[in-house]
Amino acid sequence: MSDVAPSPAFLQEEVRRYHHFITLALWLAAITGVEIVLIFLPVPMALILTVLCLLSAIKFFAVIMWFMHLIYDHRLLFWLFVTGLALAFATFTAVLSLFAVERVDTKWFS
Amino acid sequence: MSHDSHHAPVASKLDLAPERSDLGLIRPDRKTGWADWLTTVDHKKIGIMYGAFAMFFFLVGGLEALAIRTQLARPDNDFVTARMYNQLFTMHGTTMIFLGVMPLSAAFFNFLVPLQIGARDVAFPRLNAFSLWTFVAGAFVLNSSWLFEFGHLAGWFNNFSWYKSLVYTDFAPANGWFSYAPLSGTVGQADAALHAPRFTGVGTDFWIIGIQILGVASLAASFNFICTIINMRAKGMTMMRLPVFTWMTLVTSALIILAFPAITVALIELMFDRQFGANFFNPSAGGQPILWQHLFWIFGHPEVYILVLPAMGIVSEILPTFSGKALFGYPIIVFSGAVIGFLGFAVWSHHMFTTGLGAVPTAAFALLTMAIAVPTGVKIFNWLGTIWGGKIRFTPPMVLALGFIWMFMCGGFSGVMHSSAPADAQQQDSYFVIAHFHYVLLGGVLLGLMAGLYFWFPKIFGRMPNAGVAYLASGLVILGFNLAFGPMHYLGLAGQPRRTHTYHAGNGWETWNFVATIGAFILGIGVFLAFANLVWTAFKGKKCGSDPWDGRTLEWSLSSPVAEYNFAQSPVIAARDAYFEDKHGGRRIAYENDGGEAGVHMPSQSWMPLVAGFGFLMIGLGMPMLSMGVPHIGWLVIAGLTVMFIGIWLWALEGPGGYMLKTPAVGSTPSAPAHQTATTH
Amino acid sequence: MSQVSEPAHAPTSTGIEHKKLIMWLFLASDCMFFGTLISTHLLYRKLYPTGFTDAEGHQRFIQNLFNIELTSFSTFILLMSSFLMALAVSAMHKGQIKSFRRNVLGVIFFGLIFLGCQVFEFTHFFHQGLTIQNSVFGSTFYVLTGTHGTHVAIGILWLILLYFYSFTGKLGGHVGALDVEVAGLYWHFVDIVWIIIFTAVYLVEYLGPSGFWGTGLPLTK
Repeated sequence: MSDVAPSPAFLQEEVRRYHHFITLALWLAAITGVEIVLIFLPVPMALILTVLCLLSAIKFFAVIMWFMHLIYDHRLLFWLFVTGLALAFATFTAVLSLFAVERVDTKWFS
Repeated sequence: MSHDSHHAPVASKLDLAPERSDLGLIRPDRKTGWADWLTTVDHKKIGIMYGAFAMFFFLVGGLEALAIRTQLARPDNDFVTARMYNQLFTMHGTTMIFLGVMPLSAAFFNFLVPLQIGARDVAFPRLNAFSLWTFVAGAFVLNSSWLFEFGHLAGWFNNFSWYKSLVYTDFAPANGWFSYAPLSGTVGQADAALHAPRFTGVGTDFWIIGIQILGVASLAASFNFICTIINMRAKGMTMMRLPVFTWMTLVTSALIILAFPAITVALIELMFDRQFGANFFNPSAGGQPILWQHLFWIFGHPEVYILVLPAMGIVSEILPTFSGKALFGYPIIVFSGAVIGFLGFAVWSHHMFTTGLGAVPTAAFALLTMAIAVPTGVKIFNWLGTIWGGKIRFTPPMVLALGFIWMFMCGGFSGVMHSSAPADAQQQDSYFVIAHFHYVLLGGVLLGLMAGLYFWFPKIFGRMPNAGVAYLASGLVILGFNLAFGPMHYLGLAGQPRRTHTYHAGNGWETWNFVATIGAFILGIGVFLAFANLVWTAFKGKKCGSDPWDGRTLEWSLSSPVAEYNFAQSPVIAARDAYFEDKHGGRRIAYENDGGEAGVHMPSQSWMPLVAGFGFLMIGLGMPMLSMGVPHIGWLVIAGLTVMFIGIWLWALEGPGGYMLKTPAVGSTPSAPAHQTATTH
Repeated sequence: MSQVSEPAHAPTSTGIEHKKLIMWLFLASDCMFFGTLISTHLLYRKLYPTGFTDAEGHQRFIQNLFNIELTSFSTFILLMSSFLMALAVSAMHKGQIKSFRRNVLGVIFFGLIFLGCQVFEFTHFFHQGLTIQNSVFGSTFYVLTGTHGTHVAIGILWLILLYFYSFTGKLGGHVGALDVEVAGLYWHFVDIVWIIIFTAVYLVEYLGPSGFWGTGLPLTK
């Protein structure tokens, strides 16, 4: 198909990435498994929640760094995406804390 | 490495042989006249069309404003009904913001950004055309609500069963440009047809889908511009050499892509409430209408900076040009613009002080709001520093730009006043707020955009607007504007509430309301005169040279009007204010020998962006009619989705195509003025 | 099959291809999009932890509604589809069009399984009495996961079109690899949004004796 054959160095790099992808897929599956077991463990809720948040953050960043090539690509792309992500996180953390339960009259409805 | 679509370079696109796209359809490259404008992917033509539509809608929004002011000229007036008044101020705000200011800014983005960075087009020419046509579709959808409203008033629909079963018959939006829930939403349980009782008629549905479509257009355009500015700068055009207007385009586009998703989701949620009986903002099912306010202002406050930053960029180009000095404190102006943009995301709740956020959030949002005055003030002092000691030429754009500074400053002062939450509690929903944001949006943005129009019109059309008329129009605009909105500060503090269709005599508001109305008409005449002057100039104005103002940035190095390939040879930039340095300083612009006999690559024209935009028009007309209960109209929505999908699909399949255009030989090109040819090789 | 003046070939100021840059910009923007949807869901869970009332007037609790086995399965499927997508992009970079087709078929297949699970889940919840109209939870849940599902469906459509396009012989070289990579970025993004939804919408309902939001009802599973 391609008019220009990929260089051997490039092919070698692709093979290296290929192995990373397989390793990562296994890790992702394992982490998801851990998450499902975790929620049924008789451990304090705060601890589980912290670990769950941590695990999904790890999965999230693993996918964007390796599957989405951010670790291989120009650094600008990483910062562009992280800007959107950080802004969304900050904004909606603020919104969630603005909706303090004691300030909202929910008695009407329940 | 050749492709059958690439013929030998031609001198004009009219010399091209008919060429088929990858789909087998003839590409519309050789079209002229209407078909050329409908299929063009040239950023300059797209910019001109954006500008023409924006100026038209400015006049529409202006007429709506004059109707509002006529109604308020005297107490207990009945020039329009209360309902019509609500529709007028809603459509006035929506039209001015989404169909006037934003597309006029987009017109400048389109026309100027590639020229200022030394590029031949934007990164995605067809996506750019798609943005234009989607904007036109959204504008048409919004304003078609007037058509339905007049049809209703004229009794066109009286014999239709869907019409007879309507509970509310307001067809034009009447919720204000913010469409607060629950007024715009629903209350109570949904019936079998999934419709919960609503407070308003289908006007709100027109507004929802219209804004949604306009959002798609703005988002697509913004992705394109960020990509263009980051990726298509000429050699040597580093980020800190970018003209400030281009910088502000970049910041504005970043604001659009980060702010519009919030309103997109809010609109989806409101649409689900209205069309499918969901409960996002339905108070009787536990929905929190205040959530709409949060989501709206998470978008709405950055939107304010989306409106004003391009005007700031324009003024930052005009002041140095007519002061004969470089912009004072370029890095700090750029930095301030970025800080304003960033802080713009952290202050949305200052629109909601009176909703009772709690002491800590109120204090935090008040402080952050006050903090925005700092970068804004920095900009103002830098502009003053720019004209300080300069050889000022009071041309029409300069007069308007100077008007921008002090009018915008007045708006800024009253803005700082209601950043203080206790003061805001007094001013909320009064005419004081109207005065504030009209000083910012008219005194700031409109004057800035008019300055830009008068500044770049000679570049766009190669013709010089009549200066006498321009001075007169500027004077009328500034005078009328101050007469109209100055008294509103007083009216607001004296207690006149906004969004109210009339007021009784005896409150002490009569005189200043009458003055404001006179001012509004003077302002209207001024804007009309200014626009008429421009339209006349575009066709009949006196021809002028390529650099009538002794310009500083790259676009002035090109012929007027600019050739379709922009740069016969790509420039290599050696300094900030590249062209001014080239003319008067030591650092010349070099030119890469990438044009000439080999030709310049031009993207092919395409029908597909127009087709996709037409799909949006069908969806946009179908959704509100679905809400009216017009039978079988769901098919129009489905057909619209299909047309949009097919448009985008065929657009992908037809391939970008392109042809090579011969550029004039070096030395004979009007793009390279005489003194430059020596430096070309 | 390559075009001399294809925009992707033109050197860019940063060295990043236009298409890749614009896709990342879109994804940055989409963070705000899903951020809005997810936070709408979460803040209503915070305000109304007790679930919803079905058509018969019975109070229903979210833990008893959700089926964690099914959701875990579809999460796993989506993660693996992301893996196959990474392989498909890798295959295109190596110019192995057949391998690309195999992998992308896998992605499409897994994506369809995910959508199938979602259709099953929606139907099941509907029969359990959860509708978009009868509660705020119904509205936020269906619209959030439904919007995600729509993203998945658009991704599947995109990949199907790319799959068939590859048979025309025009998908290849640097441009073809870039087109696939950009579609892949979209697909992975849909996957990471689900990673967040899986934790924030599903798993938290199982925390502690009565779920993170605290219904006051012991978990009966």
